Amino acid sequence: MTVSNAKAIFIWGTVVSAVIFLALTYDFHRKVGMQTHEMKLDERVVAGKWVWQKYNCNDCHTILGIGGYYAPDVTKVMSYRDRDWMSRFIKDPPSVWPAERRMPNLHLTDQEISDVINFLTWVNGIDTNNWPPKPMALVASQALPKPGEAVFKAQGCSACHMLGGVGGTIGPDLTKVGSRRSKEWIEEQLKDPKAHNPNSIMPSYAKLSEKDREDLADYLSGLK
Amino acid sequence: MKYETQKIAYNYFVVATLLFGLQVIFGLITGAKYVWDHDPLINILPFNTSRAIHINLLVVWLLFGFMGGTYYLVPEESETEIWSPKLANIQLILFASVGVAAIAGYLFGWSWGMPFLEQPTILKVGIVVVALMFLFNILKTMMKTKRWTVIQGVLLGGLVMLAGMFIFGIFFVKNLTTQYYYWWWVIHLWVEGAWELVAGSIMAFILLKLTGVDREIVEKWLYVEVGLVLFTGIAGTGHHYYWIGTPYYWLWVGGIFSALEPVPILFMVIDTLRDVRERKVEIENRTALFWAVGCAVMHFFGAGVWGFAHTLPQINKWTHGTQITASHGHFAFFGAYAMLNLTLIYFAVPKLKGIKTLKSALSLSALRLMVFSMFLMVLALAVAGIVQVYLQRILGMDYLSTQGFMTLWYAVFWVCAWGFASGVVLYIIDFFSMGKTAKS
Repeated sequence: MTVSNAKAIFIWGTVVSAVIFLALTYDFHRKVGMQTHEMKLDERVVAGKWVWQKYNCNDCHTILGIGGYYAPDVTKVMSYRDRDWMSRFIKDPPSVWPAERRMPNLHLTDQEISDVINFLTWVNGIDTNNWPPKPMALVASQALPKPGEAVFKAQGCSACHMLGGVGGTIGPDLTKVGSRRSKEWIEEQLKDPKAHNPNSIMPSYAKLSEKDREDLADYLSGLK
Repeated sequence: MKYETQKIAYNYFVVATLLFGLQVIFGLITGAKYVWDHDPLINILPFNTSRAIHINLLVVWLLFGFMGGTYYLVPEESETEIWSPKLANIQLILFASVGVAAIAGYLFGWSWGMPFLEQPTILKVGIVVVALMFLFNILKTMMKTKRWTVIQGVLLGGLVMLAGMFIFGIFFVKNLTTQYYYWWWVIHLWVEGAWELVAGSIMAFILLKLTGVDREIVEKWLYVEVGLVLFTGIAGTGHHYYWIGTPYYWLWVGGIFSALEPVPILFMVIDTLRDVRERKVEIENRTALFWAVGCAVMHFFGAGVWGFAHTLPQINKWTHGTQITASHGHFAFFGAYAMLNLTLIYFAVPKLKGIKTLKSALSLSALRLMVFSMFLMVLALAVAGIVQVYLQRILGMDYLSTQGFMTLWYAVFWVCAWGFASGVVLYIIDFFSMGKTAKS
C-alpha cells in the first residue's frame, strides 16, 4: 500500500462516516420533537431542567442512563413515584428514605422542587426505545403483583423494612408480618404509627388514599 | 532535544503529573463512598462533587499532557522554534487558573451540571480562550516552515477538532434529549475522534524516533489507523443514541459502526509491535518503549475489548447505566490516554533533561503496579456491574438493595485502587527525580 492509498482511506473513511452521521443528525432534528413530546416542554419543565443541572444531580444519578452510578436512574422515576412522595423526599431525603446511603438535603425552594418534578415528569414521557427494559424474571413469571405490593414499592417501605432478606433494618422485618398483625392493625399503624407506640419514628401514611392503604394492609397481612 | 522552545513542554508535564496525583486522591475518596454507605463528608464533599472533581481532573491532566506533547513535537516536525514561548507560558497559567477556579467552584456548589462539562459557562469561555491561544501559537509555528508532515497534519486536525467539538458542550438546550445528543459530540467525538488523532500522531512520532523505522511506513499506518478510527468512531457515536429519545435506527447504525471500533486499535497494536521488531536503531530509552507497548496493549483491551463487550444494543440494553460502563470508562481512559501521556512523558522528559539512555527500575515498577492494579479494578467493577445487571435489571430488585449485594466488589475495587495509587506515587517520585538521580 502506498501513502496515497492510505491517505485515500483516511479521507474517504472520514467523509463517508461524517456524511452518514450528519444526515442522520438532520433526521434526528425532524423527529426529536415527536419522540420527546416537545409540545409538553413548557417553561416550568425548562426551569426544572436548570434545577437538575444547578444542583449537579447528574453526578450521582443517571438520567437516560447517563451520569453517576451512585444513586438510582431517574428516567422513569415518575412512573413509580407520585408528586407528593417526590416533593417530600427532595425536601428532606433522610426522613423519607432513612437508609445509610443517603441523598443530602440540598435545601431546594418549594418552587425548585415543583419545577424539577415537572422536568422529571416530562423526561418520563420520552420514548427511549423501551429502555430501561422490564425485568426479565417478572415478565417470565407472568405473576401479577398484588396492588399493595406496588404501593409498598412506590412508598419506598423497603428503605426501613426488610422483606424476604432485602431492605433496611430501621423498622421491623416484615417478611412474616401477617402472622403477627391483622389487616386492621396494619391499617391503623399506617394512619397513625404513634397510636400503637408513642415513640415510633415511622412517618404517618395518613396521606395515602383509602384504597392504597387498604391494598397495602391487605398485602402485608397476607405475608405469613 | 533539538530546539530550545521544546522545554515549554516540561512545565505542562509537571502540571499534568500533579493533577494526575490529585485525580487519584479524589478517586479514592469517591470510591470510598461506595464501600461505606455512611458518608461522613456528605455535607462537605458529597459524591457528586467528588466525582465531578475526579473526572474533570482526568480530562484536564490529559489535556495538559497533550499540550505539552504538542509543544515538544511541533518544533521537531516543523524544524523551527515555537512561535511564541511567552504565549505558551501564559496559556499554561491561564489554563491552570481556570482549572483551579472550576474545582474550587465545585466545592462551593457552583456547577453547570452536565457530567464532564460541569464548568460554569464563564469558565468554559476561559477554556475556549486557552484553546484559541494554543491553536494560534501552534499554527503560527507550523506556518513558519510549512513542513506538512502527516504526523503534524493529523495532530493539527485532532487539536482543531478537539477545540471545535467543545463548542457543542457550551450551550444550554431546553430539550434534554437534544442536550445529550450534542453532549456526546464533545464526549464521544473527543475520545473516539479528536483525542485518537492527537494520541495517534504523538504515538507515531514517538515510535518513529524511538525505533528509527522509515517515516513513510509510520505515516502510512497513521493515515490508515486514524482513517478507520474516524470511519468507525463518527457514526459509532450512535451507540450512545440507543436509549436517549432518538430514532430506533440508531440501534443499527451505532451497533454496526461501533462494533468495528476495535479494528483500528488492533492495527495500532500490530503496528507498534512491528515497528519495535523492525527497529533500525538500538532503542536507548527502554522505559519509554515499555510504556509504549503497554499503552498499545491496554488501549486495545480497555477501549477495544471492554468497549465491544457492551456496545451491541442487545447487550447494552441491560448494561447501560450500570457499573459495567464505569469499568469500561476506567480501563479505556487509562489504557488509551493516561498511558499514552505517561509514554510521552517518559519519552520527552529524558531528552529535555539531557538523559541519553533511560532504564528506570522505579518507572517499571510504577508501570507494573498501575497496569496490574487497574486490571483488577476493572474486573471488580465488571463483576459489580454483572451483579447489578442480574439483580436489578433481570430480577427487578430495587436499586439500593442491589447496591448492598455489590459492596464486596466495591471493596475489592477500592483496595486495588490503593495499589494503583501506589503505582502513581512511584511514578511521581520517578518523574521528579528524572535528571537528578536517574542520570545514566
